[in-house]
Amino acid sequence: MVVSLIFHYLSLIPVFQYVVNFAQDFIIGILKTGPIPHHVAFVMDGNRRYAKNNTMALKEGHNAGAETLVKVLDFSYRLGIKAVTIYAFSIENFNRPKAEVDTLFELLKSKLVYISQSGEYADKHGIKIKIIGNKSMIPEEILKDLNKVEEKTAKNKTFLLNVCFPYTSRDDITNCIIKIVKKVKEEKTISIDEIDEDLLNEHMYFGNEYPNVDVLVRTSGHTRLSDFMLWQTNKDSVITFDNSLWPEFGFINYMNIILKYSYYKNLQLQQIKFKPKKSKNDTQIANNNIEELINNHPPYASVTGN
Amino acid sequence: MSDIGSLKKRHDTSKRISDFKLHEHLSNNNKHSNSLVTKPSEVKKSPQPPLYNFDSIPITTSKLIQTAYETRGPNLDQQEGEDIDNDNDNGKNGNKSTLLPFFFIIIKLRFLSLAYNPSKTPLLINEDVNKLPKIPKRVSTILNYKPEEEENGGIDGLLNDGSEVVTWCLSSGINCLSIYEYNGILKKHIPELRRSIYKKLATYFGPDNIPNFSVKIPHLNLIYYGVEDYDIDENNQKKIDIEISLLSVIDGRQTIVDLTKIMADMAKNDEIKVEDIKIGFVDDELRELVGEEPDLLILFQPYIDLQGYPPWHIRLTEIYWEDDNDQVAYSVFYRALMKYSTCKVNVGK
Repeated sequence: MVVSLIFHYLSLIPVFQYVVNFAQDFIIGILKTGPIPHHVAFVMDGNRRYAKNNTMALKEGHNAGAETLVKVLDFSYRLGIKAVTIYAFSIENFNRPKAEVDTLFELLKSKLVYISQSGEYADKHGIKIKIIGNKSMIPEEILKDLNKVEEKTAKNKTFLLNVCFPYTSRDDITNCIIKIVKKVKEEKTISIDEIDEDLLNEHMYFGNEYPNVDVLVRTSGHTRLSDFMLWQTNKDSVITFDNSLWPEFGFINYMNIILKYSYYKNLQLQQIKFKPKKSKNDTQIANNNIEELINNHPPYASVTGN
Repeated sequence: MSDIGSLKKRHDTSKRISDFKLHEHLSNNNKHSNSLVTKPSEVKKSPQPPLYNFDSIPITTSKLIQTAYETRGPNLDQQEGEDIDNDNDNGKNGNKSTLLPFFFIIIKLRFLSLAYNPSKTPLLINEDVNKLPKIPKRVSTILNYKPEEEENGGIDGLLNDGSEVVTWCLSSGINCLSIYEYNGILKKHIPELRRSIYKKLATYFGPDNIPNFSVKIPHLNLIYYGVEDYDIDENNQKKIDIEISLLSVIDGRQTIVDLTKIMADMAKNDEIKVEDIKIGFVDDELRELVGEEPDLLILFQPYIDLQGYPPWHIRLTEIYWEDDNDQVAYSVFYRALMKYSTCKVNVGK
C-alpha cells in the first residue's frame, strides 16, 4: 500500500519513469535468456472486488482492469510471447445483471476498436486480434464492430491476441465435435479413421497455431479453472493461481510467473537430455550371442532314432 | 468398438475377473504405514495430545493447522458479491519464491504431518472433519508412481498411498473417490489393490467392522466388490460405503476422441442428427464413460500438473496442492478439505 503510494508520487517525475522502464528491460533481458512460453492465458478475475475494496463504481473497477490488461500485453510482447489469450467474458456471465453485461460489452468493444485503429497499438507492434467463442451469442451491432476489428488486424503476423468472448471450454469442445461430425457426414472430407487428437486440436476455436497453453494465470486466488481452456491446459502447462486482484497484477507478479515457467521448462529439458538412450547395436550384439550359444552343442542322439 | 455398447447399455455389473495371484508383497504393506513421520530431530517439539485417548479432543493440533493455514493462503472468506469488512492486505501476498520460505515450508510440512498424525483412528479424522462447515461430495486425487528406489516408491508405495486416501475419505464421510494415475498401473494390479485397501481398512476400523468398498474401472466397465469375489447377488445387496474409480490417461483426451468417432459413425448411419449434439448430450455421455465431476481435486505434488486428467470433468473443480510437497500425507488432505470449506461456488456471477 505504502509502496504503491511512493511509486505513484515518484512517477510524476519524468526521469523516474525512464529508470523504471530501464529496470524492467533489464529484468526482461535476463528472463529472455531462458525458455519463454509461446502461449499465455489470463483469467482476469477480481475487478469487482477491487472496485469494492477501493470504494469505486463497478465500471471504474472494470476500467482499471482494462488498463492493467494493456500493461500486461505490453510486457508480454516485450518478452517475446507470441500468443496471449484473455478470458474476457464467459457464457455463464450472461447470468449477471443486464446493466453489467452491457457495460462489459461496451467496454470491450471500445477498447478493441481503439487498439485496432490504423496506426495505433495493434499496427505498431503487429498484433493480430482474434475473437474466440460462440459468436452467435453476441448482439448484432457489437458483432459487426468486432468483425471489423478482426479484419483490420488480420494482416499482422508478429503477435496474436485471442479475446475469448463469450467462451466456455465445454462449448468449445462440443462445437469441435459437431464440426468434425458434420465434416464426416455431410461434406465427407474426413473419414472416421482420421479422427484423432490432432484433428480435434485443429477444429477448436483456437486453431492449429498454438494448440497448447504454456502458462495459465488466474488472479484473485480462486483455485479453479471455471470452464476455461480445459482441453488446452491438459498437458504440459503451468497453471498458476495468483493471490492479487487483476487490477493489482503488476510487473513483479508477472515476472515471477515467467520465472517459474522457465524453471519447470528447464527441468523438463534436462530430463529429456539426460535420458539414457538404448543404442541399437547393443541389442543386436546380445541377440547374436544368444544364437551362438544355442547353436553351440554336441550332436543330437535321440532314443527313437529320428 | 466396444464403446458403442457402453453408449447404449448401462453399466454391466455382472462382469468380474477372477485373477488371484499369491504374492509376497502382502507382508510388506505394514512396513510402509508409518511413512508420515520423518526426521523428528529437525522438527520443533510441541506438547503432543495423547493419541490413543478417544475422550480428549485434540484442540491444540487442529488450531495449529488453522493458524498455519492463515499465514499462508489468501483470505478466501472474502468472496465476490459479499460485503465483508476484513483486513485490507488481501492480495498483497504475491508469489514469493526465495529460499527462506522454501525451508520454512518444508519444515512446516514435516511439523504438520508429525503433529497431525491420526495414527489410524477414524474417530479423530471424523472429529476434525466435523469442525468444517461443508465438505465436498466427490473427491479426486492424482497419484504419482515413484521409482522403486525411492522411499514409499514403486507399486507398493502406490498401493499404500491409494489405500490411505481411501481410509481418510471414508472416515470423513466422503463416499465417492476417484484416483487418477497417468500410466494406469493401478488398473493392472486390481487384486493387490483390493487386498491393500482391505488391510488398511482393517487397521483403521478394526477387523470386525470393515466397511464395504467397490473398485470401479470406467474405461473397461468393470466393478469389483470387496476383497474377494463372492456370489454376485449377495454383494449387490450389501450397501457400499465407498466407491473408488480408477482413471488413467486413456480417460482424458482419448475418450473424447473416441466419443467423436462414435458420434461420427452414428451420424453417418443416421442414428442421430448433427443438431442433436449439444453440450448436455456430450456431458451425459462423458459422465457415463468416465464418471461424475469431482468437487475437489487434491494433488500430492509440488506444482499443478494435470497430467492429462479428463478435461471435461474439472470445469468447476477446486484444485488443491501444497507447495514443495510430494508425499501423500493426511495434513495435506485435511488442509484441502479446509480450503474447500471456505470457497464459495458461484457459477458465472
